[in-house]
Amino acid sequence: MRSSTESVAFDTKAREKAADTFGMWVFIGSEAMLFGAILLVFLIARISYGTAFAAASQRLSLPLGTLNTAVLLTSSFAMVLAHTFTASRRWRPAVWALICTSLLGIVFLFVKAVEYGREFKEGLAPVLGAPFSFTGPDPTHAEFFFALYFAMTSLHALHLICGVAVIAGMLLLWPGTTEASRTHRVQAIGLYWHFVDIVWVFLFPVLYLINR
Amino acid sequence: MSHIRKLIVAYLGLLALLALTVGSSFLDLGGLNSALNLAIAAAKAAIIATLFMHLTSEGILPRLAVAATGLWLAVLFGLTLIGQ
Repeated sequence: MRSSTESVAFDTKAREKAADTFGMWVFIGSEAMLFGAILLVFLIARISYGTAFAAASQRLSLPLGTLNTAVLLTSSFAMVLAHTFTASRRWRPAVWALICTSLLGIVFLFVKAVEYGREFKEGLAPVLGAPFSFTGPDPTHAEFFFALYFAMTSLHALHLICGVAVIAGMLLLWPGTTEASRTHRVQAIGLYWHFVDIVWVFLFPVLYLINR
Repeated sequence: MSHIRKLIVAYLGLLALLALTVGSSFLDLGGLNSALNLAIAAAKAAIIATLFMHLTSEGILPRLAVAATGLWLAVLFGLTLIGQ
């Protein structure tokens, strides 16, 4: 007879779900430490070189940053709808909500790529050996701002790429999976996706809105 | 149905907070700008964590993991900033 739990390690479904959820939250905690450490470096640099950071931040595109924040918040909304539909076993709308989530993730990455392209063209990207030219107060520390900006946003984008890849993989395997495993998977990727959204919710004001 | 309505309200609230944080950055509030931006970011994170991630409705364990994360982040930030 088939067990009602996915893994033989658990007696009941409720225990399995609690363990799954707890595992994801512990993982999210470790990710928060990673992003927290980088934010701390940024905070210290901002306290030390406030003028250079404020001038450098003005060169970022606020319209594109705002648009991307709205796109990511919408993708989180689509993800929570996918979770709600999965919980009530409405599979077709759940699949559509997951497709919308990953498409919005791709839109975010596209807009970010446009922004990066603009910054490379303006000589504001001190990465990959590209030339850096900044006309303003304290160009040395403005360069540090842009190095941190690229480190933070590309690490965030990498997380989003992983999220899109996992959703795409989940959708490919979808027809062959049991209903219980679908619920577990959507729950786990949902927690991850919302966390990546929360990281951006902090990165956006910290990078784009300094003394504007 | 009422659950989905609650999620829609949360989503619209998040967009309103985004408009508020971008709008406030055009006002000169001195040192309050950064504080306001971070407070709004924290409010958005709280909405996402409670309503989208079900942080408070899945038993004690998720809250325990978040509390442990908060403690270690406080140690990280506290001990570093104390010397600034």
